[in-house]
Amino acid sequence: MESRLNDLPQLQGAVTIALVLLVVAVTAFIGIAIVYARKKKTSHGDDSELSIGCAYFIEVGNRPSQQDSLFVSPLDEYRKFGITAVVADGMGGMEYGGEISEKIVKHIEQMCPMSFFATEQNADEIRRLSNDLYDEYKLSGGSTLAMIQITGHFMNYYSVGDSDIILIRDGTPTILNPRQNYMTLLIKSLTRNNKQTQTAYTNSKSRALIDFMGNQNPHVIYTKKPMRIFDGDVIIVSSDGLTDAVSLRHIPNYLKETASGTAAALKRAVATRNRPKQDNYTGIIFSIKRSLI
Amino acid sequence: MIENYILMHKGGQEEYRDNIFVNYSSALTMALLYLPSETDFSVTDEASVAALVQGSSKMEFKALSESIYPILTELKNYMLIRIDDKAINIERHGKVYAYIVQNGELKMLPNGLTSLEDEDRVICCTGEFTRYLNDIAILSDAVSSDSAEEWMDNLVCRISDKNRLSEGNLTAVTMIVRSNDVIRLA
Repeated sequence: MESRLNDLPQLQGAVTIALVLLVVAVTAFIGIAIVYARKKKTSHGDDSELSIGCAYFIEVGNRPSQQDSLFVSPLDEYRKFGITAVVADGMGGMEYGGEISEKIVKHIEQMCPMSFFATEQNADEIRRLSNDLYDEYKLSGGSTLAMIQITGHFMNYYSVGDSDIILIRDGTPTILNPRQNYMTLLIKSLTRNNKQTQTAYTNSKSRALIDFMGNQNPHVIYTKKPMRIFDGDVIIVSSDGLTDAVSLRHIPNYLKETASGTAAALKRAVATRNRPKQDNYTGIIFSIKRSLI
Repeated sequence: MIENYILMHKGGQEEYRDNIFVNYSSALTMALLYLPSETDFSVTDEASVAALVQGSSKMEFKALSESIYPILTELKNYMLIRIDDKAINIERHGKVYAYIVQNGELKMLPNGLTSLEDEDRVICCTGEFTRYLNDIAILSDAVSSDSAEEWMDNLVCRISDKNRLSEGNLTAVTMIVRSNDVIRLA
């Protein structure tokens, strides 16, 4: 009994030290967790692997034929070659719009796998394709082109015409590629003259394309440096049949957990609007997530 | 060399009140002034700033800053910039901003010296200019444009889509580092 009483202060000391260590460990854990949570909330600078979900829709709308075309490179080759996806929107009211858009995506398919870093050469190849189309069709048809390449944490894009490449980050949608239509020329001219630009938007020809595939030596817009992409980003490559029906600011309302869920929601949103003159509408949706593997 | 394009647009206002003073020498030196309508800035002070920037070729950036500060201290929103193809030095006061494209992202430039490389893209602008622009839009137009002028035109189109250029003065300068001294034609 006496011996046990003598051990008691030592036991109490050990328990105190253990408690202190426990408190220190818990405090450190909470501290690290708070720092990590703050970092995650305020910074996109995460270098973990990204996984890409992809889905698409291509619908005729209320037009007599399908003039949109699309191509997505094989997802199972993503780790090796990245992803290339293209939407070509044949110009309505022209005889060969659909035929030309098909030729464009077939040519892009043949170009794959294409170098992610040789953007200038890729843009040159797209321009050459347009010149070939010009020689063949002599402006009796044309198409837009909106294309992205994704490798690792980076994305490049290419654009001719007015199809859309949309990046949705933190719930905010942004059209990445400048549109090549007459309105942009009017805005430029009015700006040079220090004027406001209301008249550019009321001009009946403002949506007419000033460049397109099938034109001679079109200006191919492309990224000279790649853009970083992050966990949670959603990228949509689409024809204007989508954004004419569902305005840009409303698109985030249709985002779902998966790319296929988003594609289904967007497709349904256009269909339920039941617009009498609904154009062909096409969208390729990429959902970027941090990979668990 | 620094390829640059300057926008000085009155927007929906009666007059253009902001200002940019530029000295084109071996380095580009600029004073960018943001003057919302409630701000007073005398013609005499404006002339003094213009004269200082014009005569700043051989002046240290710090000396220029110290000379200009007493004139602009009441102004609150201004930025001094000195840029060549090796580095940019900025001193920012109030609602004026400078951004650089780095590693596929748009980053705000801190006050002081930042080193530059060939093809780096930098924008300096007023808070009014960025009111309707987000980072992704500025970045996307920066990396997809062939020239500083094209970059600015694309940004102005975005602002126009939001407000038809009917609000405040719009003041900005887009810059691209061209170390090989050759301007690429679109």
